[in-house]
Amino acid sequence: MAAVKELQRDLENKANDLNKLQKDIAKNHQVRKKYTIQLGENELVLKELDLLNEEANVYKLIGPVLVKQDLAEANANVRKRIDYISAELKRLDATLQDLEEKQNSKKEAIFKLQQRIQALQAGKGKA
Amino acid sequence: MAASSSRMEIEKLSLEQLRGLKEQADLEVNLFQDSLNNIRTATARLEIASSALHDLSLRPQGKKMLVPLTASLYVPGTLDDAEKVLVDVGTGYFIEKTMVEGKDYCERKIALLKSNYDQLLEVATKKKSIADEAGAVLQAKLKQLSPAH
Repeated sequence: MAAVKELQRDLENKANDLNKLQKDIAKNHQVRKKYTIQLGENELVLKELDLLNEEANVYKLIGPVLVKQDLAEANANVRKRIDYISAELKRLDATLQDLEEKQNSKKEAIFKLQQRIQALQAGKGKA
Repeated sequence: MAASSSRMEIEKLSLEQLRGLKEQADLEVNLFQDSLNNIRTATARLEIASSALHDLSLRPQGKKMLVPLTASLYVPGTLDDAEKVLVDVGTGYFIEKTMVEGKDYCERKIALLKSNYDQLLEVATKKKSIADEAGAVLQAKLKQLSPAH
């Protein structure tokens, strides 16, 4: 009897863990989406900047102020941002894979636990 | 040909799986619809910008105009050089372009959005037909089960 109770408590714990894992995975997807959108926007800007010849004026909006920027500097900034976002996306990918593996093994563990509980309860019923 | 083979695969699925497939497909179709609407709105805004540019190019320098400072406050002013325009290219960057380049920018963006829209429409239509098929097969199976009583 006590064995079943303990197994059930363990089951509850594992279910909570699974829940948290799923929330983390959902959050990962959200952050990923945001970064992907930013990456796309930055790549568009880079394309526009590449089309310009040397003398064109480029301005950056910093708060309420439009500041004149050097074309080379603007290019460098956008490229750096693109590199940063790509690195972040790669990191998120690795985290996501790790989370999904943990989620799967947690699901398996829960399933096995449930089977043991059912077996024990069936055994008790007969006795 | 492709439609009939996918239908056979759908028929092999159990009731539960069929329900799941239809729900999933419906969700995706809704997402696609939202994206299609967003693209249409953005394209409309770009076209307004393009026609405003065109209108601006027709005005002579020194023309009296009203300049918006806020949504409800305009101040009188005169049009300076309409040959140069500032284009918002995203992530806080603005590029000074000539009127011709500005118009070209609008045209390019509109073309890009139109092609995105077409691609998305293709995918969305395919997904919708999968959703419809799943729904039809589901109905048929449910009908098969009930008159048995």
